[in-house]
Amino acid sequence: MIEIKFVLNNKPCALNVEANERLLDVLRNRLGLMGTKEGCGEGECGACTVIIDGKTVNSCLVLAPQVDGCQITTIEGVGNRQSPHPVQKAFVQVGAVQCGFCTPGMVLSAKNLLDKNPQPNDKEIGVAMSGNLCRCTGYDKILRAVKLAAEEGKG
Amino acid sequence: MKKRGIGIGCAWYGTGYGNGFPDVSSAFVEIHDDGSATVLTGAVDVGQGSNSIYAQIAAEELGLESQDICVYSADTDVTPDSGTTAATRQTYNTGNAVLKAVRQAKSRLLDYAAREFSCPTIEGIELKAGYIGIKGDPSRRMPLADMVFKARLHGQRLISAESSTARSTPVDLETGQGAPYWPYAFGSQMAEVEVDTETGMVSVLKVVAVHDVGKAINPTQVEAQIAGGVAQGLGYALLEELELQEGRIKNPALSSYLIPTALDVPNIEAFFVEEAEETGPFGAKGLGEPAMLPTVAAVINAIDDAVGVRITSLPATPEKILHALAVKKEELAKK
Amino acid sequence: MNTTVVGSRVLREDAWGKVFGQTKFPADVNLPDQIYGVVVRSPYPHARVREISITQAMEMPGVVAVLSAKDVPHNSHGVLFRDQPVLADYIRMVGDPVAVVGAETLEIARAAAKLVQVDYELMPAVFDPEEAMLPEVLPLHPELCPTNILYHMPIRRGAMDKGWALADVVIEQDYRTQHIDHAFLQPEALLAYVDERGHMVVQTATQYAHYDRGEIAHALGLRFSQVQVKTLAVGGAFGGREDISLQIIAALMALKTLRPVKMENTREESFYSHSKRHPMRMHYKTGASKDGKLVAMEAKIIGDAGAYASWSINVLRKSAVHATGPYEIPNVSIDSYAVFTNNPFSGAMRGFGAAQTVLAYESQMDLLAKELKISPLEIRLRNHFRVGSTTATGQVLTSSVPLDQCLAKIAPYLQKGEDT
Ligand code: FES
Ligand code: FES
Repeated sequence: MIEIKFVLNNKPCALNVEANERLLDVLRNRLGLMGTKEGCGEGECGACTVIIDGKTVNSCLVLAPQVDGCQITTIEGVGNRQSPHPVQKAFVQVGAVQCGFCTPGMVLSAKNLLDKNPQPNDKEIGVAMSGNLCRCTGYDKILRAVKLAAEEGKG
Repeated sequence: MKKRGIGIGCAWYGTGYGNGFPDVSSAFVEIHDDGSATVLTGAVDVGQGSNSIYAQIAAEELGLESQDICVYSADTDVTPDSGTTAATRQTYNTGNAVLKAVRQAKSRLLDYAAREFSCPTIEGIELKAGYIGIKGDPSRRMPLADMVFKARLHGQRLISAESSTARSTPVDLETGQGAPYWPYAFGSQMAEVEVDTETGMVSVLKVVAVHDVGKAINPTQVEAQIAGGVAQGLGYALLEELELQEGRIKNPALSSYLIPTALDVPNIEAFFVEEAEETGPFGAKGLGEPAMLPTVAAVINAIDDAVGVRITSLPATPEKILHALAVKKEELAKK
Repeated sequence: MNTTVVGSRVLREDAWGKVFGQTKFPADVNLPDQIYGVVVRSPYPHARVREISITQAMEMPGVVAVLSAKDVPHNSHGVLFRDQPVLADYIRMVGDPVAVVGAETLEIARAAAKLVQVDYELMPAVFDPEEAMLPEVLPLHPELCPTNILYHMPIRRGAMDKGWALADVVIEQDYRTQHIDHAFLQPEALLAYVDERGHMVVQTATQYAHYDRGEIAHALGLRFSQVQVKTLAVGGAFGGREDISLQIIAALMALKTLRPVKMENTREESFYSHSKRHPMRMHYKTGASKDGKLVAMEAKIIGDAGAYASWSINVLRKSAVHATGPYEIPNVSIDSYAVFTNNPFSGAMRGFGAAQTVLAYESQMDLLAKELKISPLEIRLRNHFRVGSTTATGQVLTSSVPLDQCLAKIAPYLQKGEDT
C-alpha cells in the first residue's frame, strides 16, 4: 500500500492505494465517483477522461500512485443543476446527448479545451474531441455544442 | 492526386417487426390532481430519446408542457410490455400507445368537464396551455389542475391502460407476396469524398441527408438521429470490419476495431421531410434505422465518381481502392 | 395539424443527469456484500465439453461458486427459437459461455476463471456460409433444420423472361458486406440479486426488459411475477442488446449463492457476448430499358447467421423485401438465405438486413445510369416509389412515400469541389 495525497474536485484527498491500482478504479470503486466511465480500459474511448493538472487524461491508463500531489477534476467537480458549466448547458441545449455514456468524458475534454483556448476554430475543436468516442451522435451536435459554449464564453 | 467525387444513395425501410408478428405497445397513464401526468411504458429508452418523445406526445394531447409529464419506462414490475426498442418502432408504435392511453384518461376528464360546463358533448371541450374550457369561448375555462381536482373529489380517477398494434401480415412462403411492413420510411443522402490516388485514403468532406419522418416530433432529436446514423454508415462503408480467423475475433478491441472519431465525420447537413403518416402519432413515423442506410451507397458511389473504380465489398479500405486503381490502369493499358 | 409541443425543440430531461455524470448505468450500481461474476468462454468454434473441473478454481480463497451447464434448470434462451445455451456443453462458436465464476472480488473471479479446466472434444467447424449450405456438411442445429440453411425466402413477381426481353442494358455484379460490431460505448454490465420479497431483480441495460424477464424466468424456472428486470441507463444498443448476454448467468449465480452478483464485461468480452451484423454475399442482375426504366431484377442473397438463429430469419426476410431498393421493378426474382456457420452469431443491428442490400441496389443504379448515359439522379427520379407504387412483394404503397421530396432537397447539393 502506498499513501497518496491529491486534490480532487478542489478538495484534499488522502488514500492508501495498491501500486497497480488504476485511477479509474480508485475514483469509481473507492470514492464512489461513478461519473467517470469505463468503455474500453485501454485508452481508446475517452469515457474515463479526467483532468489532471490541466491535461485531459484517460484514467484507465493512470496508476493511482502517479497522481500523488496532483489536481484532479472529474465530472462531479464540474457544474451542477444550479450552475451548470457553459459546456454542460450547451450540450443540453444543442442536443449533444444521446445515451450519455460518452458525455462526462466529452464535457471534460471540451471544458479543458476552452480553459486553454477559449476561441478554438473548428479544426482545434475536432482534434481536442477526437480522443473521445461516441457511437450515438455522429459528433455533429457535440462539435456544435463546443462551439456554442465557446461563443457564450465570449460574451 | 486528390480527386473529388459525389454520390447519391436512396433507401427505404419497412418499420416494425413485420410479417404479421404481433407488434404491440402498451402504456399506462395517470393524470394527477395538479394537472400533471405520469406515463408508464415498457419501451426502453436506449439513448435515442424515446422518453422525451412520449412526454411531448402526452403534453401535446393534454395542453401541457413536456416537463409536466413524467415518463417512467422499462421496469417490468411497474410498466406494461411495449415490445423491443428495435425495428424503428418506438416513436411510432409506443408513441401511438401513449397517445391512445392519454386520450382515454383524458376522455373521462372531458366527460366530467362537459357536465361542469353544461356542454352536451365533449367535442365542445378543449385542453390548451394548462387550461380546460369551452372551445371558442375563452371566458369559460379553468386551470386544468382545478378541474382534475374537482373530478377527483367526485370520485373520478383519470387513469388508463391502452395498447396499439401495428399493421402487418405474413408474406406467402412460395412467392414472398404480401404486405409485410407498415409504414415504410424513406431517405436520400449525398456524400462528397476526396480520394487520394497515391494512398487510397478516402476522406468524406460532406454528407447531406434528407429523411422522411412523417412528422418531426422533436426536430433536434431528428437531426441527432440522422447524424448518428450517418456516422455509423461511414464506419460501415470505410472503417469497420470484424476480422475472423477460424471463428476467433482478431480485433476485439477499440484499438483494432475502428469506429469513426470526431475527425472522421464531416459536416453533416440533416434535413427532414414531413408528409404525415396517417396512422402515426401526430403523423410521425420512425427514423432510427433509416438514418444509417443511404450513407454506404452515397460514399461508394462518390468514390466511383472521384476515381472511376467500383468498390463492391465493404469496407472500402485504402488497399481495396489502390488495388482497383491498379487493375483499372492495367485494363486501360491493354486497350 | 397544428401542434405546439409536438414539433418543438424540447430539451431532453435526461440530458442534464448525463452532463453532470449523475445518470446510473448498470456498471454504476453496487450492493453491499455483492460478489463478482466472470464468464469462462470457449476458445474453440465447435466442440463438445467432455468435462469441467472446478476443483482448482474452488480452492482459491474468495471463490464462492463455479457454475456450468448442469446447474442451469432450463438451459436455453433465444429471441425466435431457444437454441442458445445459457452455459454451453455443446459449443458452436468461439466465446460460447461454458462456466461462470462467482468470487468476493473481481480480481479473484478473473484469476479463478483461468483455473476452470474444461476438457473439449474438438469438432470440425465451418466458417464459409456457401460451404455450410452444402448437404454433406453436418448441420449445427439439426433440431431446427436438417441442413445449415435456416431460412430461404423467395420473392417472385412478374415474369423474368418477359422482363429480360425488355431490358436494353443489364448489369450483373457480386457484392459483399462484412461482419460488424455494434460497438456501443458501454459494455454489458448488470447487478442481479434476490430481494427482500424473494424476487429475482436484475438491473441492466437492455432493449427489451420484458423479453429479458421471460428468458430469465424460463431458464431459472421462476414465475414472471417473481422476476423484475429494471432497465438502468442504456449506453447505446443498436440491436446488440436484443439477445440475452449476461442476464441469465448473473441471475443464476445470484439464485445459487443468494448474494448480489455484479458482472461487467471488458470490451473484449463484450465483442464475444453479443450478436454481429450479418455479412452478406449478394449476386445482383438488374435490367433497364433504353428510357431508363427498371424492368427486371434477380438477386441471390446469402447471409451468415453464425452459430445461433437469433433474428436471422427476420433479417434475411428484410433483406429480400428491401432488395429492389425504393424502386418499382415489375419483374423480380429474389432468393435470400440465412445459413448457420461456426462464426460469431449474427443478429439485429441498426438497418436489420436492409442495410446490406443498399450497397448492391444503389451500386446497380449508378452502373445502369452510366450505361444509359443518364445521371445518377435521373435514373432514380425515373424509378422511385410514389404513392400507388407496388413493391416486389406486391404491396401497394398507399400513402406517405415522399422520396421525391427527399431527392428534390438533395438535388441542389449535387456539386463537387475541385481536385487537388
Ligand atoms: S476506458 Fe479509458 S479510454 Fe476507454
Ligand atoms: S451519446 Fe452514446 S456514446 Fe455518445
